[in-house]
Amino acid sequence: MKQTTCAGNMSQVVLILDSVISPSDLQKRLGRFISEFPVVNGSISRDINICPYWRMPGNTEGELNLVSYDCADESGLLPLLAECANRPFKDGTEHLAFHLINVQNQKSCLAMTFDHRLFDARGAESFLRLFQQHVESNSIAGVSSGVSLTAPAHLSGWMKKFLAGRNVNRKIISLSEHSLAALPVSDGKKKGFRFRLIRFSEQETKTIYDNAYRSAGYLMETPYLLSVIMQAVNGLFMSRKSEEGSYLAAVSIDMRSCEDIKQELFFNHVSYLFFQAQSHLVNNRNELVNSVKLQMYDQIKTGLPRDIIEASHLTRIAPLSFFKKIIDGPLKGKIATFIFSHVSKNPLSPELMGAKIEDVFHLPRVPVPPGLGFFSNYFNGRLNLVISYLDGLMSDDEVDVLERTITERMLEG
Amino acid sequence: MTLPDIQKTLIQGIASITSKDEAAISADVPFHELGIDSLGFVEILVFIEKTFKLQLIETGLDKKDFATIHSLASFLHKKL
Repeated sequence: MKQTTCAGNMSQVVLILDSVISPSDLQKRLGRFISEFPVVNGSISRDINICPYWRMPGNTEGELNLVSYDCADESGLLPLLAECANRPFKDGTEHLAFHLINVQNQKSCLAMTFDHRLFDARGAESFLRLFQQHVESNSIAGVSSGVSLTAPAHLSGWMKKFLAGRNVNRKIISLSEHSLAALPVSDGKKKGFRFRLIRFSEQETKTIYDNAYRSAGYLMETPYLLSVIMQAVNGLFMSRKSEEGSYLAAVSIDMRSCEDIKQELFFNHVSYLFFQAQSHLVNNRNELVNSVKLQMYDQIKTGLPRDIIEASHLTRIAPLSFFKKIIDGPLKGKIATFIFSHVSKNPLSPELMGAKIEDVFHLPRVPVPPGLGFFSNYFNGRLNLVISYLDGLMSDDEVDVLERTITERMLEG
Repeated sequence: MTLPDIQKTLIQGIASITSKDEAAISADVPFHELGIDSLGFVEILVFIEKTFKLQLIETGLDKKDFATIHSLASFLHKKL
């Protein structure tokens, strides 16, 4: 259990910059910035009979892990980033690693690999936004005030957490009524993750958002993007002649508003929505979009995402073997067909250390199972979509088809 | 309910969903400029159902009705 789920505990946010920045300058500035936040060098700790907690380090001088690379051409960038995303942290106190890549002496790429216990995706972007402010003002005083460096302990109200756990358990049982399609995960040696990046131009992004509006309605791009991806995944299973009748997408969502993020920067605040579609429904785009919208509405109305957050606190007191029983029981070892998330807002300012930020995207490692995820984000008028998958889960040809199908369907409306 | 009452109730609900001060929310600013995405928008639709007993998720979610708090309040006023 621990071996499989820990694979999802890392992610990487990538900034593409329009010019080269100096590694030594970055090292100096990042070192000064990170030293203001000893929380990043904390560790999970558990004293006798006490729930696990985040122990702050005794020594506030944390070591900065920054490695610089040269990349001869842009085609080599994604494989290099994948290598960085797959490199494990050295121990339980390291939760951040930075990679600065010089691309042909013309551009740079700054990648921050982070432990998902320390940040979620929007928290990581907000942390880099603080770094930008720190660089601009050259002091911690210039960094936004009101950042909370401590998370509530959540060590009270256990009855509420158990009731939330009951609701989540009922939802899991209802989702498990249909046989779930999932790609088989091969066991054996530890495997890394591979990534495909689909970058849409400004014009293509506008077309996609127009399609989303026509098909799903105002501000309904998430249900639209998910529906397109579900159709493409259906194509993958059809080509494998899978007989499973239902697809389940676990969609990670951030329950914080933009204002909340400023105060709750650290730790993970993600929850989930679940979308299920029978394979016969998936071929009809309009029906699928409506079904996704209604499922989203019903789950928010019944408070499922908040129940999941509440219930997740039970992981502090329940042994891992208990969760293994839930997954192996009603879910028969399958958690979802794939994971999806869409980050529609970005807190970053346009420049970092004098270089303009051209693009931003995320390369998360997906928990196994399912080991397959789709992660879209909107930046500077453009949409990016990353396909993240466990090495060996799909053949290169299958990923090619998936990539082509998603691109075509997004644009055709 | 009068139109100003509906607008005031909407602003209160949206302020709670977005964690903003009511005073910082203008009734004439588009929802997407208030930092609202699909999730936030669905939360607003749920708030509308609980407050005004109107389910709107299955309507066309037309931009002209939902573009701003003011236009949404007018839309709700016609429906109520």
